Amino acid sequence: MRRACVWALVAFCLVLAQGCGLLAPKPAWEIPAPPASDRPIARDGALTRVELESGLRVLVHEDHRLPRIALSLTVRRGAASEPPEQAGAVSFMAELLERGAGDRDALAYAEAIDALGASFAASADWDAVSVGISGLSRDFDALLGLLADAALRPRFDPREAVRARDALLAALERAKDDPATLAGWRAARAVYAPHRFGLPVSGTAETAARLDAKVARAYHARAFVPNGAILSVSGDVEPEAVIAALRDRFGAWRKGALVDPGAPPPAQAPAQRVVVVVDRPDLGQARIVVGHEGIARTDEDRIAVSLFNLVLGGSGFSSRLMASLRGKEGLTYGVSSGYSLRRAPGPFFVSTFTRVEELRPALDILLAELERARREPPGEDELSWARTLATGSFSMGLETSDAVTDALVDLDVYGLPEDSLDTYRTRVRAITADEIAAVARAHLHPERAAIVLVGPAAAIVPQLEGLGPVEVVKP
Amino acid sequence: MPNARLLVPAVIGLWCAASGARVAALEDPAARAQVTHLDNGLVVVTLEDTATPVVSFQMWVKVGSRDEAGYSGLAHLFEHMMFNGSEHLGPEQHAQLVTARGGMINAYTSNDQTVYFDDVTRESLPLVIDLEYERLAYLDISEESLNRERQVVLEERSLRIEDTPMGRAYEALLALLWQALPYRTPVIGWRSDVEKATVEVCREFFATYYAPNNIVVAIAGDFDTADALARLERTIGRLPAAEVIPRNPTEEPEQRGERRATVHFDLRGPVLAAAWHAPATGHADGEALDVLSQILSDGRSSRLYRSLVHDAEIALSASGGYWEMNDTGAFLAIAGVRPGESIDRVEQLFFAEIERVRREPVHAAELDKAKRQLEVSLVNGLATSHALAARIGGDIATFGRIRPLGERLERIRAVTADDVRRVARTYLVTDQRSVVHVVPPPHEATPREAGDGA
Repeated sequence: MRRACVWALVAFCLVLAQGCGLLAPKPAWEIPAPPASDRPIARDGALTRVELESGLRVLVHEDHRLPRIALSLTVRRGAASEPPEQAGAVSFMAELLERGAGDRDALAYAEAIDALGASFAASADWDAVSVGISGLSRDFDALLGLLADAALRPRFDPREAVRARDALLAALERAKDDPATLAGWRAARAVYAPHRFGLPVSGTAETAARLDAKVARAYHARAFVPNGAILSVSGDVEPEAVIAALRDRFGAWRKGALVDPGAPPPAQAPAQRVVVVVDRPDLGQARIVVGHEGIARTDEDRIAVSLFNLVLGGSGFSSRLMASLRGKEGLTYGVSSGYSLRRAPGPFFVSTFTRVEELRPALDILLAELERARREPPGEDELSWARTLATGSFSMGLETSDAVTDALVDLDVYGLPEDSLDTYRTRVRAITADEIAAVARAHLHPERAAIVLVGPAAAIVPQLEGLGPVEVVKP
Repeated sequence: MPNARLLVPAVIGLWCAASGARVAALEDPAARAQVTHLDNGLVVVTLEDTATPVVSFQMWVKVGSRDEAGYSGLAHLFEHMMFNGSEHLGPEQHAQLVTARGGMINAYTSNDQTVYFDDVTRESLPLVIDLEYERLAYLDISEESLNRERQVVLEERSLRIEDTPMGRAYEALLALLWQALPYRTPVIGWRSDVEKATVEVCREFFATYYAPNNIVVAIAGDFDTADALARLERTIGRLPAAEVIPRNPTEEPEQRGERRATVHFDLRGPVLAAAWHAPATGHADGEALDVLSQILSDGRSSRLYRSLVHDAEIALSASGGYWEMNDTGAFLAIAGVRPGESIDRVEQLFFAEIERVRREPVHAAELDKAKRQLEVSLVNGLATSHALAARIGGDIATFGRIRPLGERLERIRAVTADDVRRVARTYLVTDQRSVVHVVPPPHEATPREAGDGA
C-alpha cells in the first residue's frame, strides 16, 4: 500500500516538473512475472550419440565457444553394489585409478595430468563410478590417453594401495573433527543400519582396514565393463574425430556380465523413532539431523516430491523451514531438507544447527513444520512459485555444455528416457496441488523419523524429554 | 548524462599458434564489455552474451572489514541486514522473489568488498534491478531486525570459525600476521562486537559506505544493455552520491622476528598454519607468486603434496598460496596433520620445501606446468556468466579497469625460474613469518573437564 503512495507521489512530481502525463512505472515485483523463455537444452545438432560394438555408449556434446574439453567415463554400478562388510571397496578402487595406470606409476601419472594443466577426478557414489578429465582441446589425444589408462589399465600397485588405505583411515579419523560429517554418518546409520546405506560411501575405519590392491582389482574387473558404461565428451571437439579416437582407444575393451546393483533397503526405515546424541563436549553449536527413508531416482512421484521439498526446505530463503527457524527466530544460519535420489530409495533428511541452549526449541519448530507440511500441504500459491523456481533453476543449472552432458549421463545411469531434460519443464508445470498433498502424506513421516544430534551430551540430553529413548554415543 | 566508453582492446586467437588443429580461437569476452559512469558516480559494467540462458547481476560495494574501526564485523553484518527487509518489502522477501523465479541470490563479504549477486534468466533482470534499488534506497535498519540478524550471524560464526579447527587456525593466524592493519580482524567480526553493535552504528555505516559512488554494478550474460542502463538510471542512478568515503589510514609496521601462537581445540587432526607478508594486488611480483603457489600446491605432483602427503605420509593435505588484497597481501601455508603424527615434523618438512624454493631455481618442467595450470584456470573462468560478471566487476572495483586476458597471460608467461626464486627470497623470510599450531589441549588443563559447565 505504501508503495502505491510513493509511486503516486513520484508520478505527481513528474507531471508538475514536465507538464506531461508520464506515468511512473510500477516496481517489477508488483507486475506478474513474464513467461519464461524455455530455451532448448542443447543447440541443434550439438549432440551425437553412438553405441560401439562392445556396448559402450558414447555421447558427444559439441561446443566451440571455448578451447576446452571434458571427458568422462561412467560405469553404472557404485557403492550400493557392495556388501556392508566391504563398505568402501568401490570408492577405494576409484581412488587407486589415478595412483598409477598404463606405463606410469602414481607420481608419473600425476606429472602427466599436471603438465597439461588438466583436472582429473575419479570418484564413486551410490550408483556409479566416474572417471573424468578436463583440459584444453588441443590436448585431446593426451587427455583421452590418460583417461583410457586410468579406466582400463590401472596398476593397483600394492604399495600405493597401502598408502591410499592409510590416508583413508587417517581421513576417516580426522573427519570426526567435523560436526556435520559426524551428524551425516550417524543419521544414515540410525535410518538404515544394517543395510549398506547405513554406512558412508567411503566405508568406516573397520571396513577400510580390510581394503587392499586385490580387493580393488577385483571390483574393477567386475564393474568396468563396456556394456555397463557411458563415455561422454563435451566441448571444443569434432564428433567424427572423437568417435574414431574412441574406437581406437576403447575398441578392444571386452563385454562382461553386469554386477547386481545391490539389495534395496527396508521399505520403512527406521521402523520407529530413534534418538541418538553424538557427544562432542567442546562444541558450542549443536547439529540436528532428522530423517527417514525417501524415494528412488526413478519413482513416478519424483517431480511432485521435488516441488514439495522446495516448499518445505529445499529452496534456501524461500522455504517454510528457513522462514520459521531463521527468519522468525534467528535460531540458525541455515536449514535444508532433501530426498537423496538413488536407484533404491535413499534417505530424506532435514539438517540444521543452533546454539546448544536453544536445541529443543529449534527441534520442536522443525518437527512441527514437518507435521504441518502433511496437515497443510503447499496450496496453489506455494506450488505456483515452486514451479517457477524449479523450471527457472533447471534452465540456469544447464548453463554450460558440461552441465548438460553430466545431466544426460545421469539419465543414462538410471535408465531414464533420453528426452527427460526436454520434457522436464512441461512435466513440472503439470503437477497439481492434489498430487503434492498425496506425496506429502506418502513420503513424510516425522512420527517415526530418526533424530540425530551432535554436541555436548551433558547439555543436550536434559532437553530431550518426551522424544523417546535416547542413545548417547562417542564420535 | 552517462558517458559510455570501451575500455578493453579485443584479444583474439591466443591459442592459434598451438600445435593441434582442432582449437577454437579464444576471444576474450571481456573485450566487449562496456563501462558506463552515471552522474551520481555509480559505475556500470555490462557484457552481453545471448548464447547463454543466464544473466548475472552483481553489485560490488567497496567496503569490507578493512574499513571497520570500533566494531568489527560490521561490513559482514550489513551483508545480512541487506536481506532483512526495506520500506516496501518484508524480511527475506527480496530473496524469495528472486528465488521464486529460479534465480540464485546470495552475497559475500571479503576484506575489501561486499558483493551481492543475483543470477537469473533474462526476463527477471528488471525485477533484480528494482529490488537492488529498493534495498539501497529504503533499507530497514531497526532494533528488531538487527537483533534477529545478529543471532543468525553468531550462528554463522560458530559454524565457520569457533567449532572448526581450520576456522580457529585462520583467525589466530591473521591476528598474528597483522598487528595494525584491520585485515587482522576476522571478516565475520569478533563475537563481542557482533553482540554489541547498535542500530545507530549500523545506520551510520550504511550511510557512509552504501553510496552509489562507492558501488560498481556488473551485468553479464543474456540481457539488453540499453534497457538495463535505462532502468538503472531511473533507480539506483537517482540516489545521492556521498561527499567523502573515509578509508582506514593505518599501515602495517615492519615485522621484526618470527611470531608464534598455539590454539587448543579438542581435535584429532592438528592444523599447521603459517603466513608471510606479501605485496598488495596488482603488484609486479603477483604472477611470480602465483606461479610459486602452483609449484608448491597445485595437483598431486606439486612439491608439498609429494613431500608431506605422498612420501612422508604425515599430512592429509598441504598447500601454500598467494592471497592478494587491496592494501597488502599474504603468502599462506596450511597443512592438515594426520591423526597421530607430529605437527613439529610436518612443520619441519613444510619449511624445508620453502627453503628449497629459496635456495634452488625451480625446474623448467615445473615452471611450464605451473604456467599451463594458470592459463587453463583463466580459460575455465570464462565458462559462466557469473564468473564473467565477477571478473569485470572485481577488476573495475579494484583496478578501475578490466585487465585483458592477453595482458594477464603475457605476465604469467614472462615469469622465469629466477623470478620465482627471487620472490621466494624476498617474501618467504623466516624473520617475517607467523606460525600457528592448532592442537588438542594438554590433558590436565581441559577446561570442560575442569567442570566449569560452560
